[in-house]
Formats: sequence, structure tokens, C-alpha cells
Amino acid sequence: MAASAAPLSPLDETPRPNIPTAAVRLPAVKDYEQVDNEILATLRPSAGWFAALGVAILCLLIGAATWIYQIYEGLGAAGYHPPTMWGVYIITFVFWVGIGHAGTLISAILYLFRAGFRTSIYRMAEAMTVFAVMTAGLFPILHLGRPWKFFWLIPYPNWRLIWPNPKSPLVWDVFAILTYLTISTTFLYIGLIPDIAVLRDRETNPVRKRIFALLSLGWRNSDREWRHFTRAYLFLAAFATPLVLSVHSVVSFDFAMALTPGWHATIFPPYFVAGAIFSGIGMVFTIGIPLRKYFKLQHYITLNDLDAAAKLCLFTSMVVGLAYLTEFQIAWMSGNQVEQDYFWNRVFGQWAWAAWIMLICNMVLPLSLFSQKMRRNPTWLFILSIFINIGMWFERFVIVVPSLSHEFEPWQWGSYAPTWVDYAILLGSFGWFFMWFLLFIKQLPVVAIAEIKEIVPPKMSHAVHGHGQPGGSH
Amino acid sequence: MAGVLAVFPHLDSAVHAIDELKRKNYGDITVYSPTPRHELEEAAAAPVSKVRVFTLVGALLGVSFGYWIMIWISEYWPLVVGGKAIATWIPYTVFGFEVMVLVGGLSTVFGMFGLSRIPRLTMTVGYDGRFSHGDYGIFVAAAPDKSAEVSELLRKHGATEVRNER
Repeated sequence: MAASAAPLSPLDETPRPNIPTAAVRLPAVKDYEQVDNEILATLRPSAGWFAALGVAILCLLIGAATWIYQIYEGLGAAGYHPPTMWGVYIITFVFWVGIGHAGTLISAILYLFRAGFRTSIYRMAEAMTVFAVMTAGLFPILHLGRPWKFFWLIPYPNWRLIWPNPKSPLVWDVFAILTYLTISTTFLYIGLIPDIAVLRDRETNPVRKRIFALLSLGWRNSDREWRHFTRAYLFLAAFATPLVLSVHSVVSFDFAMALTPGWHATIFPPYFVAGAIFSGIGMVFTIGIPLRKYFKLQHYITLNDLDAAAKLCLFTSMVVGLAYLTEFQIAWMSGNQVEQDYFWNRVFGQWAWAAWIMLICNMVLPLSLFSQKMRRNPTWLFILSIFINIGMWFERFVIVVPSLSHEFEPWQWGSYAPTWVDYAILLGSFGWFFMWFLLFIKQLPVVAIAEIKEIVPPKMSHAVHGHGQPGGSH
Repeated sequence: MAGVLAVFPHLDSAVHAIDELKRKNYGDITVYSPTPRHELEEAAAAPVSKVRVFTLVGALLGVSFGYWIMIWISEYWPLVVGGKAIATWIPYTVFGFEVMVLVGGLSTVFGMFGLSRIPRLTMTVGYDGRFSHGDYGIFVAAAPDKSAEVSELLRKHGATEVRNER
């Protein structure tokens, strides 16, 4: 636990979130030594951390055991039967891919836009991205009756000379998700190299020092290294930004390319991207706010940072809300009775309860963020983030299940009920995600040391005009 | 590589020392700082990074490969549907874009590694662990007969520690 300065009261912070000067951004952080000491103190394991890790591993084991049972019994054990052959697994796949969006959004897009509030939260958001995409990647495999054949989607020379169909959105998905996972992991690792060098230089245990030396690649903080590093980081951010937009667009094509009521719409790519960013920011709050309190990082992740992130959350909520309403308008103006029946069924039919959960959690509750008082209230942001996570999971439920169970002809209509197998594997996915995240936060700094130091004024032998202004070129 | 290594607690002192070392041209200078600082970058006056060349070449190779592999697969294993082209560029743009980002991003990183000369297995010469925390460092690859003169200059500018490295 960090032996840190007392957190500022809300009244002590100037509410000007995006001006990246030390006096405004991090008023309680005085020098580089304080940054090193306080952030590295978060790496010491504690009883609470071990307990949380134990719960995560238990959930993972429940999910893994259930998967073995499902492989033995077949996908019928998960409640799949015609016409609803996509259910909780595809819903949860889209849910986790969506959560994986905020990390690269916060890291890359906000970096290009020089948004000041990015610095303190981007590391945990990037880690969240990598682990969320790792979790999402499991679900198409879990959804297979013969999961050991998953590699058939990858174009590789094989003895039967069969190749995947490159016109199928499912193959686009494989490329998009694997590219996203690779670039997001690379982006996380590159940003970590200078911080791993800090760990290497302070470590006294020879084995850990050697491991950190290998992971830091012999980084020495030289001008040559920083010069190429900052330029490479910029280009990676420039690549990652359109990648964020492309990945969830491609995921939306899984639906939009099908001639199914409620799916076949050109609005899907922007609708999915906005929803992904919205759900990702929700998960950043879910993870970041407890970490901020537990590690006493209030003067690094300030109320100004939360305020700015909450504004982004509000904006994406309104985009998502507009997309929900536009879908109804498109159905109304289409003159297509099947489409109109589907949307009527969405809000008043068998699955209406799910649609209303979605609308209330994603459209109504985030409107509270118009109030600055609520945006600067971490407890409310945490509670709201749980509602957003629930609402976004149900958004995908509303997209997948009512469409498949209510297609063109009444004889095609059917029902779907998730079974305990679905719920156990859903629980296991949370266990998998949090296990990796908890291991990460005890091995590597959850707040970027080198970038925080860029904001903190350097030591000067003489008073310099403009002291405290951002001087870093990163 | 032999030379003189100095540790500076203050940024402005390090900048002044670099200015004078550049004027007197004792040898190649390596500057260490815990975080990138434009003051040091300007004083060192290094050229713009060439990482962008790797980015451009990687991106072009990636986009070409992305389109090519899918067109080749379609021609090699044709899925014939009436009225539809065997290979068509619109859906294959997804592959072109994704592989462009993948190869362009990875070549940027490998370019950065090559230009920065990492991974490095040893770093005993000309480095001090304090440079990742808060101190600034200057390593001058000065000839042995100039090392006393260089050490004197570095101390004059406020170096708290100066040592010969070999």
C-alpha cells in the first residue's frame, strides 16, 4: 500500500481537467522521487489482493470445468436450438470486444488529441484492453461444437488445400481481432519499457532484477532511445486509432451482413463503435475507481480526470441512445412490416424486459453526468459503471436473441433460455479477465511512471520562468 | 567504449553542460533523462528519427500482402456464386487495412528497436541506475588525454558525480 500524501478534498482541486500543467493536473505531486515511491508501492502484494485473486481463479475454474462438461455433452447443454443458434457466447464475445475498445481509445486517440486526463488512466485501460480481447477471443472457440478445429478460420497451407472464405465476416473478424490484440499488446509493452527500466534499477532481488533487465531490453533512457521511442509511439497511436474504429465495425458486420430483421442496417458500424467505447469507459470506471481508492492514487487519478472521462462517457451514451432511437426510425420509415414487427417486439414483446434494462442503463442513467457534482463523485461513477456494464451486456442480448428468435415467418419463430452452462462460462470469463488484471497490477506499474514525470516539474538549479509547464516531448 | 560519465541533479545544469560540450567538440555525447525533455533534445540537436521509413515500408508491404493473399486464396479455391466475382476488392479491403496496420505497426516497433540499438544485453559502460529515477546523465566519449578537461567542465556546470568509464 502506498505511503502517500493525504488525498485532496474535492474543493481543493481546480476543475479545469484538460490543462496539462503540473499545478493544475497533479497539484499534490511534488517530485520524481515521490512518483517512484508512490507508484511502485502499489506493487507490494497484500491480503486483499490475494483474496481477490483467489476469487478470480475460483470463477475461472468453475468456467473451465463447465466448458469440459459442454464439450462432452454438446452445445445443446448451453441452450442452443433452432432458430436461436447464437446466444450468451456471442453476446459475451461482443461485450468483451467492446470493453477492449476503451483502452486503445484512451491511449491512442486521446494521445493524438493531447488530452491531459489520459496520462493517469491509460495504463490500466491498455491492460484492460489486452485482457478483455484475450477474454473475447475465447468465446468464438467456446461456441464451437468441436473447439479444437478453431484454426480452420486462419488461412494457412493445409493438406486438403481448403481455404477460408474471405467474403465471410467471420473471417474478417479473425483478422481484425488478432490484429487488434497484437497491436494493443505491442502498444502496452512499448509504453511499459521505460517503467520496467525503473523497476530494474530499483530491484534488489537478483532474479527479479534479471527478469526486469530482459523485459526492459536494456533500456537506458538515452536521448537516442527517447528520440526513436517518442516517434514510434506516435506512429503506433496513429495506427491504433483507425484500428479501434475498424475492429468493432468488423464485429458489427457479423450481424449487419446477414439478412435478418434488426441486423441488416448500415447504422451498425458507428452504433457498435460508440457502444464499444461507452462500455469500455464503463469498465475503466469499474476497475479504476476501486484501484484509485485501494492504492491511494487520488492525487494521480484526480477528480478532474474522472470528470473528463465522465464527459466522454456521457457523450458516447448519447451517441448510443441516438442510435437506439434511429433504429426505430429506420424501421418505421422502411415500410417493411417484418422490420417494424421486430422493433415492436423488441420493446413490447417477449424480450421487452431486456430492452428496457438496456434503455434505462445506457440512455437514462448516464444523463446524470450532466451534473458536474455527479461527474466528480467517484462512488456514483462506480455504481453507474456497474449499470453501464449490465446495460451493455443486455444491448448485445437485445441484438442477438430477439432477432434470431423472431425472423421472417411465424413458423421460424422460437425461443431461447440460457442454461446454467451459459452462466457458469460467463462467470468464468470474468474470472479469466480479473485473474490476468490482478496479476498485472502486482507485477507492473498501473500508472505510467515516465509519463507522470513528464508533467511533474523537473529539478532546476535556478528558478526558471514557466517552471511547472509541461516540458516533455513524449 | 571509454569516456566520462557525469550525473546531474538539475535539468538546466545538464543543458548548459551539453551546450558547452557541443561547442568544444570533445567527442560523441549521450544524454540520459528519466523522461523525454525537449530542452535536452534541443541541446543535443539530434536529427529527426527515421522510424517513419520503417512505418511506411511496413504499411505498404502489409496492405499489398493483405489484398494479395485473399485474391490468391479466392483464385486457388474458388467459391463460385452466380453473378458474383471470384475475387472482389470491397470485402478484401478489410484484410488490406488490417494487415497494413499489423505489419506497419510491428515494423515501426522493430525499426525503433534497431535505431535505438535495443535489445542490449550489457549496459555497464556509460549508464547509472539513477538516470531512470530523477537524475540526468551525460556520457562523453572523450579521448583519454581529454578526460581531465571534460571532467572539469562537467563539474563546473554542477555535476554531482563525474567518473571515467571504460
